[in-house]
Amino acid sequence: MVSLYFTEEKQIMIEKTIKIINNAGLHTRPAATIVKMAARFKCDFFIHKDGLSINGKSIIGVMTLAAAKGSEVVLSFDGEDEKEASEAIAAYFERGFDEL
Amino acid sequence: MTEKNISTKKHITVDYFYKSTKEKFGLKLFSKSNGFNRVITDQNLHRPGLALAGFVDLFSFNRVQIFGNTEMKYLSKLSEKERIQSLEKIFEFEIPCLVITNNHKPTDDMLKLSEKHKISIFGLPMTTTKAAYLLSDFLDDQFAPRISIHGSFVDVYGVGMLFTGKSGIGKSEIALDLVERGHRLVADDVVIFTKKGEGILMGSGTDLIKHFMEIRGIGIIDVRSMFGVRAIRFQKRLEVVIDLEVWDDTQEYTRTGLDGKTISYLDVDIPYVKVPIVPGKNITVISEVIALHYLLKHYNYDAAKIFKKRLNQKLKQNIDSFDRSVDYFEHDFE
Repeated sequence: MVSLYFTEEKQIMIEKTIKIINNAGLHTRPAATIVKMAARFKCDFFIHKDGLSINGKSIIGVMTLAAAKGSEVVLSFDGEDEKEASEAIAAYFERGFDEL
Repeated sequence: MTEKNISTKKHITVDYFYKSTKEKFGLKLFSKSNGFNRVITDQNLHRPGLALAGFVDLFSFNRVQIFGNTEMKYLSKLSEKERIQSLEKIFEFEIPCLVITNNHKPTDDMLKLSEKHKISIFGLPMTTTKAAYLLSDFLDDQFAPRISIHGSFVDVYGVGMLFTGKSGIGKSEIALDLVERGHRLVADDVVIFTKKGEGILMGSGTDLIKHFMEIRGIGIIDVRSMFGVRAIRFQKRLEVVIDLEVWDDTQEYTRTGLDGKTISYLDVDIPYVKVPIVPGKNITVISEVIALHYLLKHYNYDAAKIFKKRLNQKLKQNIDSFDRSVDYFEHDFE
């Protein structure tokens, strides 16, 4: 039996819980920016919210979250450059997608 | 990934219950809608026969209460005072709502009490057995565990195939290619699987995405408006998982197909095939072949097993030389 995301590897992944703080929430523009940022990194990047786990490198997935202001999401990074990726992307969330 | 992609509804409101079932099953509202924010926390139903008779120990009050022939007949035999007493006793509990079956109507005192205690009373025209079947099925589905998976889900020759793999490996492109060849897209990118019964996973997209997909270099497209209704379907049972990955020399890929790997989602084992991607390999055709292969196996034809049998026969005959499949090329026939 194979477990899809838990293969024979490896260390722990990085997880961060973050609140959406800008008024418009996670709408199209920030979604596109997140996806573009994530695509620069090699690691797997997932966003989790209310039982939904979506791939952070897919624009449709990120928009599916429809994360409004005040909602909490968990970001998880797994792979060789997970540290750099988590720092860059978490910072963008914390800046309110540069909309504050 | 642990369990963050798995969710189960803890409760549904009576309001949601009514809105979702009124058209499907013809649920009628008898009382005022003032108990609509009560919650249903259990998928089972309960017939409160004994509770009405006064025995309320072990009363499963958190379930939808079904009033069938027995309950209604019992209540109608009581005097008004006794009836109110009997109903008061169960209405004191935090019960979500009442459903009366067999086209029975609630009595006036019942309606008055429902208003007092803010409990909604509904009616269904069918027999209790049928009503219980329908409502149980609906509630089972509502409370079933769900898992969200990143991938593309396509119906290929009637076989529900889920394509998984890293972002950018080409899942959506394969789905699009399959649609172009006449297969039907269920969902792309975010697929939600719900456990139905013990061994079945039903998949669909989310209500926001429906049949939209992203193709890198183009952007977002709507498969339904582009290819029409023949290119989509809303739900499908998951039957095969195809995991795409870039060819890896260190990995071993199945050669005979005799090992039959599976992957487990929500404790359901699904046949699993790892397909390596190399330039010049047409994954769409391979997917179709995997689907047909699955169908043949379903109809009890397993090519690998049959080949194995032939080989064993040959080994038993113990003849050293191999021969052509045609004994004698007499003419240029088939």
